[in-house]
Amino acid sequence: MSLKRFSQSIDGTIPIQALLYDDEELLGSQDNVGIYDGQQKSPRHQSGTAYITSHRLFYVDGPKPDSCSFSIDLSHVSRTDYYAGLFTSSPKVTLYLAGDVSSESNDEHAPSIWECQVCGNHNSPGFSPSAARICGLCGVPRDAADDSTEGSSAPHLSSSLPASGFAGPVQRSSKDPVPCPACTFLNHPSLRTCELCETDLPRRPSRRELQSAPVSRPHSPDNDEEGDPANMLIKVSFRKGGDKAIYGALKTSLNGKVWESKAATVDRGGGNRSVGISGILRTVENSVQERETSMHDALQDLEALMVKAKDMVNLAAELNYKLTAASSTNDEPEEATFIRSSLTQLGLHIDNAPVTQDMTKDERRWHEELARELAKVLQAGLMRDKGIVALDEVWGGWNRARGVALIPPATFLQVIPLLPQYTTPQVSTRKFVSGLTVLHTPPYSASAFSARLAGFLVMHGSRTTLEIALEMELDMEGSNEAGMSVSLCKEMVEDCEREGGVCRDDVGQCAIVGGGGVGVEVRWWPNLFVGYVWDGQSEEDD
Amino acid sequence: MALSTHTTSTGWDSVLKACNKVNEHILGFLLPSIHSAPPFFTQQPNPATEAIVIEQWTKLILSYARHRNLFYLRVEDAETGGDWDEVLRNDRINRRLPPAHLSSILAGMVAKNVASYEPAKQTRSVLLYWRLPEEWAEVLHQWASTTGQMNTIMTFYEITDPPVNSPLTNIPLPLLRKAITILAKSNRAQIIAIADGEGVRFFTPAK
Repeated sequence: MSLKRFSQSIDGTIPIQALLYDDEELLGSQDNVGIYDGQQKSPRHQSGTAYITSHRLFYVDGPKPDSCSFSIDLSHVSRTDYYAGLFTSSPKVTLYLAGDVSSESNDEHAPSIWECQVCGNHNSPGFSPSAARICGLCGVPRDAADDSTEGSSAPHLSSSLPASGFAGPVQRSSKDPVPCPACTFLNHPSLRTCELCETDLPRRPSRRELQSAPVSRPHSPDNDEEGDPANMLIKVSFRKGGDKAIYGALKTSLNGKVWESKAATVDRGGGNRSVGISGILRTVENSVQERETSMHDALQDLEALMVKAKDMVNLAAELNYKLTAASSTNDEPEEATFIRSSLTQLGLHIDNAPVTQDMTKDERRWHEELARELAKVLQAGLMRDKGIVALDEVWGGWNRARGVALIPPATFLQVIPLLPQYTTPQVSTRKFVSGLTVLHTPPYSASAFSARLAGFLVMHGSRTTLEIALEMELDMEGSNEAGMSVSLCKEMVEDCEREGGVCRDDVGQCAIVGGGGVGVEVRWWPNLFVGYVWDGQSEEDD
Repeated sequence: MALSTHTTSTGWDSVLKACNKVNEHILGFLLPSIHSAPPFFTQQPNPATEAIVIEQWTKLILSYARHRNLFYLRVEDAETGGDWDEVLRNDRINRRLPPAHLSSILAGMVAKNVASYEPAKQTRSVLLYWRLPEEWAEVLHQWASTTGQMNTIMTFYEITDPPVNSPLTNIPLPLLRKAITILAKSNRAQIIAIADGEGVRFFTPAK
């Protein structure tokens, strides 16, 4: 019974982090727990995960997370007990619950944006109930705003409301029966529908009336159990251990009383700061300043990074210069060659400072300059021993070489078409069906590659894509080019197939032994079918 | 692959031809050299290439059917052993025609009118026209006149299973009926209902 009264059902399919208030903190979790409602096992909550946060205890049911999960506000916990377990009995943590959950406080849990009646600030949902009661900008309590418009007495409000986070529900727990509008049965105040006829009960009367109303013993039978402290508890049973950690987290949470202190802080703040327009203005000013500072910090990091990159480029240039000076006098030592090649591989091999837009005024000339620079980068490093290179790799390599004056992709794409004018052998662009774009030297143009591939296959018999990627360039007379990447090779060969230069032998599909579909590679053949003349049984043979 | 290592400047197809000559003596049917090329069994994604593949398969299937006097080809023949193993598989190069590819070849043959789906309204089995129905009609009429069956009533069974082997032995009834229908159009035959089914009477064409 206590479980039903104090818990609120939640949708356990939502990750727990999404259920937390903005100012709530997850302290610990443990799976394989069961729940006791009072002294009895609660049959619907026997296998799930418990989460302790700074404000609440969550239980997310394992089998039925959407219907059987719940949360309990830790503000209702009056004390706790720890039982270490004995033989087959699991360790348990007992939570004694106190206080009243009025329908009013339940409503406040519903997250909603509310507008402060004093300063007009829109307060976002997601704060814990205690924090949500106070406007984030001017610190005026939400209830106060409501009540004051109704014309209630001011002294009463100021004393009770700012601390309402915890004190409120206790104060409101007067045992005032609510008469049913339909059958006149006097219902327990925490009920929302009539116990007899299930008619919706009217909302509880305002607090002021409550205080003046005579306190009489409630008539709902439910109340008898409520008075029994033995039943006002729930137990969390740890079937697979983890009890100590959770109990520790629970203790921390209960000692911290975040739900109370938050309200208290705001209250104290209200006393110290100058209230009114100037207070609001100061709050706004503070938040703006805060934002500015963090933004400034972030940009500073970026600037530091740029300075470092610039240093790196300068260092590379210096090294290069020294090496050149040294090598002109005598033979280049092995180390120098190594450093030079490392620099090239890092993309830091660039003769002079990168071209930037402020050097040239005309956009067209700027693009031409860039194309000239890119051509140098390509021939010095990226394409020195490769005939074909993917566009993304070029962009990355170029920007690495440029150091700090990075080229945006849009500019890069505008420069690419100018490239053939500045490169020997000509570097042109080619786009595959898959959308992959590459830069390539003449031997890798569609027609040239098709011809070379067909010739290669005729000479060496059928090959898989991998074998083509590895062997084809080695085969070229006087070529010092390394093999191309397998995926690139696949694109090229398939392109060649589309043009009818080669045909495939799908070993996986067609082999009698060792087939079996996936994993067996396609073998490529020269296109045997073009020009094939029937040389089998002729009709005259019959 | 032995094939590629043996291949030198003479080219691979001369080797294959030599293999096939050997094959021919054992099996009595000369397989084309392309049958020993693994890509022949793969469905080629390039439509132009695939068209040649289907063309060559059509030729191979029809000539083999003529050689062995086979009338039906089913997609299942690619999976289960049977009359068609010799062409649909090549154990020497470890290749077989996948059923999906056979199915598309059959569709190509039906489109070219050298086969028809039999029974109709399915695509798993075809009746092969290594002679077109018109040609069968001629063969049938020729046979009837040379064996002196003019103007007599014959049952279908007497045609498909004659005491002396004829070109028409085992001809499937749907094909026979088509041939007779063609003859009937030029008044050279007439379908007659007889006690146990159907019969046919052949006429000498009016001169």
